[in-house]
Amino acid sequence: MRSRWCRQLAAVAALVVGASLAGCGSDEPSPQATAGGKVELTFWTWVPKIEKVVDKWNAANPNIHVTVSTQAQGDDLITKVLTAHKGGSGVPDLIQAEYQALPTLVSNDVLADIKGDVEASKGKFAEGLWQQVTLGTDAVYAVPQDAGPMMLYYRTDLFQQLGLTVPKTWDEFAATARTVRQKDPKRYLTTFSATDPGWFAGLAQQAGASWWSIEGDTWKVSVNDSATKKVAEYWGGLVAAGSVDDQPMYTPEWNKALNDGALIAWPSAVWAPGVLQGNAASTKGKWAMAPLPQWSSGENKTGNWGGSSTAVTEKSKNKKAAAQFALWLNTDAAATTQLIQDGGLYPAAREAQAGPALAQPPAFFAEQNDFYPQAKSIADTAAGFTWGPNVNVAYTAYKDLFGKAITQKSSFTAALDQMQQTTVDDMRKNGFKVG
Amino acid sequence: MDGATAARKPRRRTAHRLVPYAFLAPAIVMFTLFLLAPIGYTGYLSLRKVKVEGLGLGRGSRREIFAGLENYRQTLADTELWRGALRVLGYGAILTPVMLGLALLFALLLDSRRTGFRRFSRISIFLPFAVPVVIASLLWGFLYLPSVSPGQHLLRSAGLPEMDLLGPDLIVFALANIGVWGGVGFNMIVIYTALRAIPRELYESARIDGCSEFQIAVRIKIPLVVPAMIMTTVFSVIATLQVFSEPVTLRPMTNSLSSTWSPLMKIYQDAFARNDIFTAAATSIVVAAVTLVLSFGFLRAVQRRAFAGESQ
Amino acid sequence: MSTVLVKQPATRDSIEVTAPPRRRTAFTPTAILVLGAVYCLLPVTWVLIASTKSNADLFNTFTFAPGGALFDNVAGLSTYRGGIFWRWMANTALYAGLGALLSAALSGLTGYTLAKFRFPGRTVIFNVLLAGVLVPGIALAIPQYLVMAKFGLTDSYLSVLLPSIISPYGMYLARIYAAAAVPDSLIEAARTDGAGELRIFWRVAVPVMRPGLLTIFLFQFVAIWNNFLLPYIMLGDDRKFPVTVGLYSMLNLGNTLPALYTFVITGALLSILPLIALFLSLQRYWRVDLVAGAVKA
Repeated sequence: MRSRWCRQLAAVAALVVGASLAGCGSDEPSPQATAGGKVELTFWTWVPKIEKVVDKWNAANPNIHVTVSTQAQGDDLITKVLTAHKGGSGVPDLIQAEYQALPTLVSNDVLADIKGDVEASKGKFAEGLWQQVTLGTDAVYAVPQDAGPMMLYYRTDLFQQLGLTVPKTWDEFAATARTVRQKDPKRYLTTFSATDPGWFAGLAQQAGASWWSIEGDTWKVSVNDSATKKVAEYWGGLVAAGSVDDQPMYTPEWNKALNDGALIAWPSAVWAPGVLQGNAASTKGKWAMAPLPQWSSGENKTGNWGGSSTAVTEKSKNKKAAAQFALWLNTDAAATTQLIQDGGLYPAAREAQAGPALAQPPAFFAEQNDFYPQAKSIADTAAGFTWGPNVNVAYTAYKDLFGKAITQKSSFTAALDQMQQTTVDDMRKNGFKVG
Repeated sequence: MDGATAARKPRRRTAHRLVPYAFLAPAIVMFTLFLLAPIGYTGYLSLRKVKVEGLGLGRGSRREIFAGLENYRQTLADTELWRGALRVLGYGAILTPVMLGLALLFALLLDSRRTGFRRFSRISIFLPFAVPVVIASLLWGFLYLPSVSPGQHLLRSAGLPEMDLLGPDLIVFALANIGVWGGVGFNMIVIYTALRAIPRELYESARIDGCSEFQIAVRIKIPLVVPAMIMTTVFSVIATLQVFSEPVTLRPMTNSLSSTWSPLMKIYQDAFARNDIFTAAATSIVVAAVTLVLSFGFLRAVQRRAFAGESQ
Repeated sequence: MSTVLVKQPATRDSIEVTAPPRRRTAFTPTAILVLGAVYCLLPVTWVLIASTKSNADLFNTFTFAPGGALFDNVAGLSTYRGGIFWRWMANTALYAGLGALLSAALSGLTGYTLAKFRFPGRTVIFNVLLAGVLVPGIALAIPQYLVMAKFGLTDSYLSVLLPSIISPYGMYLARIYAAAAVPDSLIEAARTDGAGELRIFWRVAVPVMRPGLLTIFLFQFVAIWNNFLLPYIMLGDDRKFPVTVGLYSMLNLGNTLPALYTFVITGALLSILPLIALFLSLQRYWRVDLVAGAVKA
């Protein structure tokens, strides 16, 4: 019996070892173009169902084969790319990079300049978005993929029930918030989230902020400029008075609040319908979209919350082919249509924004026929923004400092000043010249 | 292996001199590759830093240079790191006694014939060991968040005020609870096994003298399992100092946890979020050194006292 | 094996018979223990019930009220991205099963050598191996990645398997067990018969050490199954993820996508079940007394 046990064990072990070795051999990163001319590209992205779009490309371009890998999103993906780049192997050819991550990637020499291949298409994108991929330099580091212009979403049924009108200015918004608390202490107009720095950055953009700027070869950091201070003070006041909630977004608790109407409005971005559909399916058809409240009556501005681009890496051995794919992905009508429908993106390409895929409103907002035309006109008003090389430091500081300000009930402007200091200190520590 | 050459081979009662080294070779090679080499590389990285030229956007504007002990100086002067260490010590001060106390209590109860449902309880209490920490933190997150939590629901129904378990006052207890839940089963089994090893005659003589079960437990059982408890304490302390997954998983759900709440979170932030592997390396060395000193020191002190006279 | 061996339970029973009659089970101790069991089962029960709820129900019904959507949830999870969840489970079985197997083998060999041979450097090697337990895993993660990158092994199954094989704790346990369980006389007898060292290890030591090796296997299995950071850092291709990293990635899809709570919860349930089954079926082989006995060394 002892030897039978041994034999069985050995057999299993051999099988498993063989399987694993077979598996590990087939993951060569960034393979070269073979003599036959077929090019293999790897693409790290997190857009849902993007494999379908890539399949279209692979069918039409047998010589350039793209493989998708979905492993992380946003900041996590950037970290992985940076680590792979440092390690020297396993770097993909193409990556999906959020706009705010581009300076970090460029300053680490991760991205290739694809100006030669994509410059001609500059006019297909809004100027503000193109500026995000050139970083104000002569080079072009990525192709814009999508945009996240911000607008206000609100529960029409609850607004009616509580006798509220849609606020057009931030003052009106504050008054509405107070009214909601008065009329129904179980509900809040909305929540201020200390865990979503991108949201806060978008609101600051609307107010005219620009946290980083370049003067010659010196950086200037102004996270606490007057526009952002205005936004911080405004929300700080609302939170302190209890007019808005202070819970983080994207938690099970927040989901529940959306579901039972404890939160009746959400300043968010154009991709919100997908999130609401997934998190609060029971509230379908009860929401509507309106432009964000403005700081002055009659104004027409908004900011961007997120949005990403497709970039080619410096270590790629097939930069031209990769740039070709990146351009196709984000300008081709069939590709963008599929990205919209399956990926839930709002495209950066102007043609796609006005295209047939966006003729119908999203299913979750079936009542609002002019959803996308309105979104487009809002998107055109989105302010530009310059990102610095340590955005994730600033973002982490936001989460820590504003979170602390909420739990300690201290001033948001003080937190903002500390956030400024942290950002500057970190840049200086890394050797950047900060004016 | 040597069957064919048995006739030729001289008969020995001790092995060839080099055999132990050959047998140890795989372990030593693996250890060197995956523990020593990375540790050495970490040490090397802790002595370097990055220098940026100008805007840092052009090609080749970042260079790695030798930094001497500057990273260590900055780490040791970093108040956030020491505050994190203090927080973690507070967390450990709650976690370790509660977890080991419960483990001891449950083990004693398991060892008593007068307790019912022993089999069921033993398996149930050990079950959390099978749940990965990330999943466990998520599950407890659901049980903590006020509107989705059944506990809070009960409190509300009874008209009692809600406990904000994820608020700044109670968050450390919320975290400690996850640790207790996950670890009590394993430690209970360790102590229980040590209890089963105690010779029964000791109890008989005590019973004849009129001791109650409780007195037997306190006077005989507990002192005899102290060695097992010491080991569990040491490993528990080490795990406590390295707490990472629970606060990281809970952090998006609450405003009460910063990104550098524990020292290991700070290392993670430096390495991954700030892309500053050099500071992370220096902090890692400091944390590892402190952990080493504390655990070895504790072990030495305790072994000398608890095992006086014991030889290997 | 513990050096303080218990008397047969029969002895205790025979004393019980002559002692004054006692109640068979007492209420208070039972209540406390059962309360502890309930506390430990609470989140597991929650997962069980929550996985029976559809996404809409999850946030709209009372926590412990079961729903009827378990089958739908499992089906939905299985078809998510072409069945990647089951691939994750298979990966985890590979990492944990093969990794623990190799780890137990390595630990067994190392522990046996350290226990049964006398050679210069023995104590030093043992202490250095032990110190490996004290190094924080997260501190090693990136340096381990960079070392792997030098060999071009990142983003491969080996990159997660190889570091998992080395287990200082397992070697420690193996050493204790070998010292206590493998009699020197047996080894010497085998040597005198002319057997080679490797054969002695395989035929004499391993069978005797089997319960201990199984314990080490189970420990390492659980440790690798539950490991998050190592595969998270090493792997780029999400088709190679183990289940813990996969579920985490489903939770953190970013601002623009809804969180897949239902899938994550159902996935969590499905990932716990195999481990529970493993425990229950192998529980009579657990020799945790060697952990307790390890203290004496």
